[in-house]
Amino acid sequence: MKELQDLALYLEQGQAQKVIALTEQLLAASISPQRILNDGLIAGMAAVGEKMRNGDMYLPEVLQSAGAMQASLKILKPHLAREGAQSRGRVLMGTVKGDMHDIGKNLVGIMLQGAGFEIVDLGVNIPPEKFVEAIKTHQPSIVALSAMLTTTMLNMKSTIDSVHLAGLSSNVKIIIGGAPVNQGYADQIGADGYARDAVLAVDKVKQLLGISA
Amino acid sequence: MNTRYEQALNCQQPDRVPFLPAIYEHKAWFVGKTPSDVCRDPKLLTAALLAEYERVKPDALTIGVDIYNVEAEAVGCKVTYYEEGNNSVPSIGHEGAILQGSDDVTSLRLPDPRMDGRMPLLIEAAKAMVKILGKEIPLRGAVSGPFSLAAHLAGPQKLFLLTMMQPGIVKELLGFAAEVIKLYGNAFIEAGCGVVMFDSFASSDLLPPEMYRELVLPPTRGIVDHFHQKGARNIPLIIGGNTTSLLEAYLGTGANNILCDVKADPQEFLKRCSAMKKAFRRNLDSALFLESSPADIKNRVMRSLEESNSYPGYILGTGVLAYGTPLTHIAAVREAIDEYERAPAAGQ
Repeated sequence: MKELQDLALYLEQGQAQKVIALTEQLLAASISPQRILNDGLIAGMAAVGEKMRNGDMYLPEVLQSAGAMQASLKILKPHLAREGAQSRGRVLMGTVKGDMHDIGKNLVGIMLQGAGFEIVDLGVNIPPEKFVEAIKTHQPSIVALSAMLTTTMLNMKSTIDSVHLAGLSSNVKIIIGGAPVNQGYADQIGADGYARDAVLAVDKVKQLLGISA
Repeated sequence: MNTRYEQALNCQQPDRVPFLPAIYEHKAWFVGKTPSDVCRDPKLLTAALLAEYERVKPDALTIGVDIYNVEAEAVGCKVTYYEEGNNSVPSIGHEGAILQGSDDVTSLRLPDPRMDGRMPLLIEAAKAMVKILGKEIPLRGAVSGPFSLAAHLAGPQKLFLLTMMQPGIVKELLGFAAEVIKLYGNAFIEAGCGVVMFDSFASSDLLPPEMYRELVLPPTRGIVDHFHQKGARNIPLIIGGNTTSLLEAYLGTGANNILCDVKADPQEFLKRCSAMKKAFRRNLDSALFLESSPADIKNRVMRSLEESNSYPGYILGTGVLAYGTPLTHIAAVREAIDEYERAPAAGQ
């Protein structure tokens, strides 16, 4: 459907006003909100992720696209709820102790929300014990840890160790992301997964939860 | 003083490759204190710098702990410090950014390095270090680059969005940031130090190179020119991440020592820097110092030195070393450099 392709393109271009207008137009034309989400917004953000990975898009443009997605999601959410869309799972996320960076974490949150996950965002500078407490309270399926500094990525390990010590590791899968970390580091500290960017984080979460589409 | 480091900066072959590990918060560990303790006390900072010099024997020292916060704090941003032995690095969250709720750059006031924020205590430590070690080792006061300072004043997310939506405000903010940096750098130069400028928020991992050229390069070049006029001969500019695509603009800043970070292409840096007779610092991955044995580190250093093709402007450095990085791991780099220089094939 051309309008959905246009929606994906406007999103990729970060044209928030056009994304909002087209979302409303598609809803008015009785297009399913789930279809708008999947074939418009998620398709658009997948293209953004691909371009970023290839060095064809940079953070300012990605943030604009994410902002447009957030605006469209706000319109879609009540319609999705009315359609009876079920949450695909709860993701608890936060930037680890000593680290105040949140751009990457926020992008992952937006993408996961768009993919139908419920997000509990603890914020930045979160000590291990607070993650443990929040796991007990919110009972997420996934815990997503972010760090932007080589000096704070060490706190990902202490967070994972604390989750293990609290006997909660069989209840949740833990993924990590951020500039200084990679798959090797994830393996080394006992994380269940690593994602290079926000789009791949959605794929990783789905994979860990056995969700095929 | 014509030290090994300065020889490399002038592309004159030094007796061995200079080693500049990125020790900022980690220097607090040398005196058994936290970064929050050391960055707020000029005597502790001086002691930490002396301990770093004694234990690590780097080829230059950097005066600074939480290097991106000082100017922003002096303008009015709120730095989060950590107490009770917490060794996290002080930082400014988006709520601490002075322009978080406003775009009015004209509301910002230029700081006075003699009295605002922690600038006076950093300058005090610089003066003490000049007195003690000024004749032995190059001392550089850490200053922010304009984009990184602007990111702290506005909050990074807001600044990145403004580059797309209101570049005029970004230019205005970068102009203000440049003036702040000049004032702070002047104070270091007057104290008898050099300066080293850090601008990793402008990395081409984040900001498009064309945006760097349009928005960031002009004020950066202005700062470098200003420091030259003030008598600072050497101005290193440190931008982390993969800056290979930024190389031309990076060299266009006038800085005479740039950074080839772990993800950047050393061969491209070698080609371009040697053509322009500019020094560059090649970084070893800081994760290496946490995950690997000293023997593995030495092997990695040897590979880097072989890549250097004996370029006289080649400096070996590290990514930011975490608080508590074992001394033996840092010493392994120096040992490898010495072994490399002694090997018969060196320089061939």
